[in-house]
Amino acid sequence: MLAGSVRWLRLSSLAIVIVSGTMGLLLGGTVSPAKGAELKVYPSQVVLTPEFPSHQVVVVEEEQGRVLRDRTAEAHWTVSSDQVVRWEDGSKRLVALGNGEATLTATVGQQQAVLRVVVQGMDRPARWSFQRHVLPTLTRLGCNSGACHGALAGKGGLKLSLRGFDPNSDYFVLTRQALGRRLDLVRPEDSLLLKKATRQVPHGGGRRVVVGDDHYQLLLRWIAAGAPGPDPAETPIVRLEVLPKQLLLAPKQQARLLVRAYYQDGTVVDVTPWARFVSSHEPTAGVDDTGLVTSQAPGVAGIVVGFDTLVAVATVTVPFPPLSEEDQRRLQQAPRYNLVDVHIQRTLELLRLPPSPPCSDATFLRRVYLDLLGRLPTPEEAQDFLQTSQAQRPDKRQRLVDTLLERPEYVDYWSHKWSDLFLVSTRKLPEAAMWAYYRRIRRAVADNEPWDRFVRDLLTASGSNLHNGGGNYFVLHKDVSELAEATAVTFLGFAIGCAKCHNHPLEKWTQDDYWAFANLFAQVALKSGDRAAEVLVNDQPEGEALHPRRGIALRPRPLDGPPLPADYPSTRRHYFAQWLTAADNPYFAKAIVNRLWRHFMGRGLVEPDDDLRASNPPTHPELLDALAAELVKHNYDLKHIMRLILNSAAYQRDSQPLPANAADDRFYSRYYPRRLPAEVLLDAYADVTGVPTPFRFVKSAAGDALSATSSYPLGTRAVQIPDALVASYFLEAFGRPERMAVCSCERSSEASVTQALHLNNGQTLNDKLRDPNNVIARWLRQGKSDAEIIERLYWHALTRPPREHERQQCLALLANLPPGPDARREILEDLTWALLTSREFLFNH
Amino acid sequence: MLRIDAERGVRFCDGWTRRDFLHVGALAPLGLTLAGYHRLRAAELLSQQSTKDKKDINCILLFLVGGPSQLDTFDPKPNAPEEVRGPFRPIATNVPGIFISEIFPKTARHADKFAIIRSIYHTATAVHDTGHQMMQTGRLFTGGVEHPHMGCVLGYLRGGRGELPAHVVVPRPIGRTGGNLPHGHTAGYLGRAYDPFILNADPNDPHFRVPDLLPPDYLGQVRAHRRQRLREMVDGATAAFEGSVAARQLDESFHQAFRLMSSARARAAFALNQEPVKLRDRYGRTRFGQSCLLARRLVEAGVRFVTVNMFETVFDEVTWDIHGSRPFTDIQQMAREVAPNFDTAFSALLEDLHDRGLLETTMVLAVGEFGRTPKINPAGGRDHHPGVWSILVAGGPLRGGQVIGESDALAYAPKTRPVTPAEFAATVYKGLGLDPHQELPGPQNRPLPLVDYNVKPIEELF
Repeated sequence: MLAGSVRWLRLSSLAIVIVSGTMGLLLGGTVSPAKGAELKVYPSQVVLTPEFPSHQVVVVEEEQGRVLRDRTAEAHWTVSSDQVVRWEDGSKRLVALGNGEATLTATVGQQQAVLRVVVQGMDRPARWSFQRHVLPTLTRLGCNSGACHGALAGKGGLKLSLRGFDPNSDYFVLTRQALGRRLDLVRPEDSLLLKKATRQVPHGGGRRVVVGDDHYQLLLRWIAAGAPGPDPAETPIVRLEVLPKQLLLAPKQQARLLVRAYYQDGTVVDVTPWARFVSSHEPTAGVDDTGLVTSQAPGVAGIVVGFDTLVAVATVTVPFPPLSEEDQRRLQQAPRYNLVDVHIQRTLELLRLPPSPPCSDATFLRRVYLDLLGRLPTPEEAQDFLQTSQAQRPDKRQRLVDTLLERPEYVDYWSHKWSDLFLVSTRKLPEAAMWAYYRRIRRAVADNEPWDRFVRDLLTASGSNLHNGGGNYFVLHKDVSELAEATAVTFLGFAIGCAKCHNHPLEKWTQDDYWAFANLFAQVALKSGDRAAEVLVNDQPEGEALHPRRGIALRPRPLDGPPLPADYPSTRRHYFAQWLTAADNPYFAKAIVNRLWRHFMGRGLVEPDDDLRASNPPTHPELLDALAAELVKHNYDLKHIMRLILNSAAYQRDSQPLPANAADDRFYSRYYPRRLPAEVLLDAYADVTGVPTPFRFVKSAAGDALSATSSYPLGTRAVQIPDALVASYFLEAFGRPERMAVCSCERSSEASVTQALHLNNGQTLNDKLRDPNNVIARWLRQGKSDAEIIERLYWHALTRPPREHERQQCLALLANLPPGPDARREILEDLTWALLTSREFLFNH
Repeated sequence: MLRIDAERGVRFCDGWTRRDFLHVGALAPLGLTLAGYHRLRAAELLSQQSTKDKKDINCILLFLVGGPSQLDTFDPKPNAPEEVRGPFRPIATNVPGIFISEIFPKTARHADKFAIIRSIYHTATAVHDTGHQMMQTGRLFTGGVEHPHMGCVLGYLRGGRGELPAHVVVPRPIGRTGGNLPHGHTAGYLGRAYDPFILNADPNDPHFRVPDLLPPDYLGQVRAHRRQRLREMVDGATAAFEGSVAARQLDESFHQAFRLMSSARARAAFALNQEPVKLRDRYGRTRFGQSCLLARRLVEAGVRFVTVNMFETVFDEVTWDIHGSRPFTDIQQMAREVAPNFDTAFSALLEDLHDRGLLETTMVLAVGEFGRTPKINPAGGRDHHPGVWSILVAGGPLRGGQVIGESDALAYAPKTRPVTPAEFAATVYKGLGLDPHQELPGPQNRPLPLVDYNVKPIEELF
């Protein structure tokens, strides 16, 4: 560990050197032309053909791969040969004239940038393509969107496939259906398609194109050319590129994006006019539907570009205002302990966000206990940790993390955590099965089983569900489609549910993808065992999940994976588990790493943390990649990732904001306080007051009846309870997940009036405060002094001593006791109530 | 920018302070109970701030979660082919020329009070969640921005009346409906302080009460006061939470809870058991029926905006989401359970508000998030169809007894006077007496109008 730190220190000093170049530039205030910035033209090379005879171009000022300013508008443009291409200054694009090669030169002030152009094929007529021209146009115009003709039932008698996923059927529909009147090959402009789209005849969808515009012309030419159909020889799109990729803009700047499609046959074309543009964070930067970006306020926004089934992302960074010297020093001297900090620091520097200073040892102690063990440190544990200073023992925080990772409470808390993910509950499982399922998860945590091995074992579990508890995963999700959907969210972070009935309206998943995936689970067989609650999980040699619309079984195929080979020697589940946990699976490691990150840092690198689609970009993509790679490299040891996060400077920052980072809520310039989870809070109340919480009733699956249970003897902690149906108004009010669906959205950490009312007037806390055997009663019986009791209460609840003014106020209150035998005790109860409902207590900070 | 209750500590709009709270305790020996004292204060207040003030309009939004079928509710097409028109016949209403589906006989007797908009549509993705967003906020959530619910906007601009929250959600917010997107019931970018008060209890439960609204007997005024003061002392000790939205939300929750606890008027507003049994029966002994009655009580007591969610989810519950196959509902189930439930409660609400003279100052809106596909699917249901659907609007300045817009012959798309959710929101804002184009401090304090500048209210309704 120590050697590791040294290595990282060296690396990070390198990072400082590199970045300080940028900083010097940024300190100038608005991002202005500066020494070191170079003029660059995008793209650098263009091939034009009769099919794609034009290409947009931008010229920018760039430094270290980041665009600082779009100079397209003011550049002076010249072409080397006006036989080959011409420059259209209005639309900022090159248009092909004749075969040959040429250059386009952009001049801004003294600087020039050059683009090479090749024009070919102009001596033959254009080959209009259904897939490359017509479908993208219909998609861009919205014709085949889910709200219009792409709806499952179509619209107004015209049904197209959603965003053109089924070219053959679309071609049939356009050319043959409706008595073939949608296209008029003789008088193309009379085609119903065009007349509807231009609203020359009534059209429920309104006017989508204007007669004569580019989209109209393209459709017209395609029809005039005889409306050629899908060409099976045409190769698919393999890559989507957005240019430029990185932009570093001051507020209220504009820059234009280009989008290029790479086809398998090597052709690269400008598809900007057909692409869709969406900003992931509009307060930072917006984008219009032509790809023009406008920066607004400091932050980072991903501009998500979609075309065909692919997505590409351009990142727009808008830095905060220049820093004071002090903040500048803070930023440059920020500690960097490991690889996490290298990535976090890079973004902080780009954004000019100075990090808050490191938190105190006491704060760190409370934080890491809550996050790793789900409980508060006892006063004894705190004093033990605090008595040595960091100067005496520089690695004391690392050692604490290492110790806590081996504690029994770690097993309780993380078994509880994963029980959320795996939906442990008696809602669908009989109690014996629920326990077996829970014990399997608990064993994995206790043994620190590598995540891939545990998941493989779970997904291929067979035999008795009481013996091999992992098999309950299949008892819980009996239905093939439920199984497919739960598996996709749990292990890949994908929501694919929509694709069950139709192509996913927000994502790339098609109905075919869904059913090919679901078919992987079609041969799982469940049989009743001999004992009550026993189910035998096995694989049978047959069974297919039929595609509901096409009525056929698709070859089993993981999402984005290769299909099951015909001669695969083992079960379909086995094939899936192998694909899922293979080291090169691009999603599996990321999904779990992102869940861990959110647990400790309060926000996922991708947020929500179980929505890892391409169109929902991470805040720190390189960090997510790096952590996923670390997990794979370290044999899927989750504790390794926990150590990386907990030992990072990013985790160990103070939560108190600086004026210059108060606006940050996603770049980790400080620790973000968050409310304790329901179960942790309830356990903390029991610990501080010394009064355990009784759990004596379980709700029925329908939630309408209670039955007594003796499974949880007094003293059982909320985080030790495997069953989400154990009755507790407190846990429900504070956002315990129901464990009905795999979704991190089930757990709520938001404060509400309901909770505040419960803490004020409800039984949970008040009963503990009044309990005759609670900690206050004990101390009073032992004859402890007011000062001593106050001191202890603060340490128990807040892991700190009372501040002097707090001590004085409390003592003053206790010195003037009102009449009554319980007056002293009541004041101490009320002080305890105040401590236990304070922000400082309710939040991990 | 008008910010009525921005960033204040414990706040009592009627000039109430915590000292009064204690003071009341001191009054008790004189025979004046806390409740009595509050009644006095409330009466004083109501004389200044009447819920019957014609310029100060309230709103009850009945959200028909699941998306009612336009064809089977308020836009019947008896001449359409059988697989489109569905199993129900149209019936006449008390307004000549207006027909609705036969499964709403009680509603039909009040058509003079409401207008039917038959041409509302949206073009976003056909999942429930998008419609929930647009029908409650007027906008689709894009680019990571969450827009505020209309009731929260009202609360932000006008503040609450007395210690009552400006916006209450009954009984619970909309939960899981499949899209995994926010539903638009919060104050969004306006901040947590303007979030609605969520009831979190079933008004149809025989033991219904707002959980924990009353302090236990052993906690008198002195102790309650001491607790608040000690809590403030502890909270003042650290500055770690200055930048934390979550902590501000917690503070606001405690302030609101304290206001509610301290208010007899608030407690009385939620005391549904004070309603006559006959009236309770008239609303229907269902969660939705009793929620509608509670909504009336709340408005009467001074709440400005009440959102009643008819259902919490569309899964494994009988709702308007009539796909026909499990875990959803089929058409007959809808007609047997959902329609009578709505018919009874909605007609009772209109009658009751009318009888009390409150309908003039209270808009009642009954809306779903989209319509259904005209052609009945093989499972005997109808699927999502945002292309066109029907909603009902009544009360306040809105003119009833009319139909706005028409759908085409198959109830597939608007034929005349298409209406967007944004125009619906503009109409609600205008009805509330707000300028639909007045600006709010949007994300990053960029000014954002309530609805876009080119969006106009439906003027025919006024």
